[in-house]
Amino acid sequence: MSGNGAMLAAEDGVEAALIGWLKETLNKDIFDALLMPVRTPAGDSFAYLLLQDPAILDGASPLPPVMPVQGGKAIGRLTMHGDGSKRIAAVVRPCEARAAIELAKLEQAHLDNVYLITLDCSGVLPLADYLEDPVAGADRFREASSAWDRSPMRPTCQICDRFSIRQAPGSDLHVGTLGCADGTAVLVAGSPKGERILEQMGMRAEDETKRTDALDAALAAWGTRVDEVGDAQTERRREVQRELQETIAGAEKLLDVFRSCINCHNCQRACPVCYCRQCYFESGALKLPPENYLARAERKGALRFPPDTLLFHIGRASHMAISCVSCGACEDACPTAIPVGQVFSLLGERAQEALGYVAGVSLEDPLPLVSYEMDELHDVEQPYVETYRNQEVQDA
Amino acid sequence: MPEEATSSTFASERLHINKGAEETVRELLRSLLESGKVDAVLALGRTGNGSGGVAYSLFRDPAAFEADGDAVPLLPFMPANAGGLLSRLTLEGALDEPVAAMIRPCELRAFVELVKLSQGSLDNVLLISSTCGGVYPLDADIDGRLEEKLPEYWEGVARGELSDDARPTCRACQHFVPEGADITVALLGEADLDTECTLQLNTERGATFASEVEGTPISEKPKSEAIDRSQSEREAFREELFAGVGVGLKDLIHTFGRCIGCHGCKTVCPICYCHLCYFDSQNCERPTGYYEGELVRKGGLRVPSDTVYFQLGRMAHMAVSCVGCGMCTDVCPADIPVSTLFSKVGAAAQAVFDYEPGRDVAEEIPLRTFEEEEFAQVAT
Repeated sequence: MSGNGAMLAAEDGVEAALIGWLKETLNKDIFDALLMPVRTPAGDSFAYLLLQDPAILDGASPLPPVMPVQGGKAIGRLTMHGDGSKRIAAVVRPCEARAAIELAKLEQAHLDNVYLITLDCSGVLPLADYLEDPVAGADRFREASSAWDRSPMRPTCQICDRFSIRQAPGSDLHVGTLGCADGTAVLVAGSPKGERILEQMGMRAEDETKRTDALDAALAAWGTRVDEVGDAQTERRREVQRELQETIAGAEKLLDVFRSCINCHNCQRACPVCYCRQCYFESGALKLPPENYLARAERKGALRFPPDTLLFHIGRASHMAISCVSCGACEDACPTAIPVGQVFSLLGERAQEALGYVAGVSLEDPLPLVSYEMDELHDVEQPYVETYRNQEVQDA
Repeated sequence: MPEEATSSTFASERLHINKGAEETVRELLRSLLESGKVDAVLALGRTGNGSGGVAYSLFRDPAAFEADGDAVPLLPFMPANAGGLLSRLTLEGALDEPVAAMIRPCELRAFVELVKLSQGSLDNVLLISSTCGGVYPLDADIDGRLEEKLPEYWEGVARGELSDDARPTCRACQHFVPEGADITVALLGEADLDTECTLQLNTERGATFASEVEGTPISEKPKSEAIDRSQSEREAFREELFAGVGVGLKDLIHTFGRCIGCHGCKTVCPICYCHLCYFDSQNCERPTGYYEGELVRKGGLRVPSDTVYFQLGRMAHMAVSCVGCGMCTDVCPADIPVSTLFSKVGAAAQAVFDYEPGRDVAEEIPLRTFEEEEFAQVAT
């Protein structure tokens, strides 16, 4: 990776530098359109905008203080039904790119003409915290993110250890800022698609004239710092998850974690990976005649109504935990402040570990639930001969 | 169970009880279960072991209504609009045996609307409600903080006043005296609600089910002073609240600009009963070429799109039945005053048809009826 990078002058900050660079890509016809966060008309939040008019870029923010919609979901929405004819640069955070990659593997997004551009990410503020006072929120975010202080960020961001392309490979281009000298950033290609863009922009580092000691030094400094911060984050993540595991282990504790759930299913709707048009838990399948509910209430003395609150969360987890990218969108959307993102992030990580999988870091790694290895079911299989031969002999 | 009696043929009775309102309600619900008069009671209950956590439950064990039981029938909190829950309970078939529901006036109205929309059945549902002092927003219960607010809440209710922290929609509510309840518990403006209670038995069914309640029939008219005062206070607040939100297209684009598209408002809305909302359906999943076309036409477009379209569509579908319960505002992660907007538009739509959602199950929903002369103004 280190070979395919370029310096990005960022005297006015990395956001302005990237926006300037993106404008150039539009002017040079390298991309046809951009998908990126832009300030909403009232100025109090951000939304993903697909744009081709460089003038609109003035309200754009590659790293906004909040993540109202997960970028992977936006990319999925855009390309659900197939590749488009336009080359689109999608400027998203690493967890959003990972979600887009999971969706592509689930055939819910098509990335042939989408160029995923990510940035080193220090997290986002919880939406509710930010919306209390968007102006103060933006200030708080700017201060914290420039110091790489994750304490005011989403709980899942606080323990994120895949905040850069080095731990979340998969994007086509990445803007590295950690460890870079003031006023500079590095642009790193993560794929042949990304390399082609650098080449088209006349920035490809393998071109001898562009390759300088300064670039090598900057890439090395960035890489070292990202790895250091990443290791520290991994340690922190383990520690926090160990504590969390204590509080959710077993059905009783899990029930208690979800005691305030009101069944709005906002978590499922905000989740980039939950792509079902209609969730099983909202379908007719669980709508039953009154006798059923009354019988269940009789058995237990009382039946929480609507029923199946915990079943919904467990069902959702079993459907999507393997693809969970730990973004925390679910927790942001929860009206009763359930730590649903932290719980799902932990469940997801454990499930992915068990299957030797990491969600969203490669388009090629097969999804565990849709792939099969000849030897993987040995421990649960019952050989046919041993099980049925005697029976067959008897029957004969 | 006797045939449902309408209030027009049954002269309502009032019963004075020498116990506080909370105790009266708990005893009534417990005795209904114990005597087998009802199979179950739908009421609020505590969930989980920790602090906080309130949900409706279908109670069958009378012990839940002991003073220290799980049930909290009068807790000023609405984790779900119970109208939607009663619809869920009776959607696949009417109840064979009576079930009592202790619910708020807007929940009762929502259920009546749903019954009109063929989403449930009133058969065998004993409706118990109260003169309502409003509920706290959902976020008031985070970390068990709701408990701390209760003394202040009940002092306010006794005076006939609402807490400033109640849902804004409650403070603006015009229908806090239940219509169509079998039994009404008088709460608002009842100075001595800790020690005494008045039950109003509005229907023959209500009188039959409450026959074992020990109380003195009273003939005096219900005290209306506090109710009237609350009505005018809420009316004034409502005007203020409505004035604060614009419903022009530009206003809506601004207000819903921060919508995250979770459609939680639709999910918790008791009136929005569709299995699959049109806006979540395949019809709104656009081919990639659609976005590219819009991009050329407009220069830029929001993705996912249809943000305001969803709100307008939902409004067009349900505003005439909107009961103004406020669930939508409470559930919104982006802090959008959804309920205020929908109530404001709903009130205007309802005024056009002189319609009041949930007032009377026999009253047809305007969108399902037709009067010959009503299209004269648009006919060519």
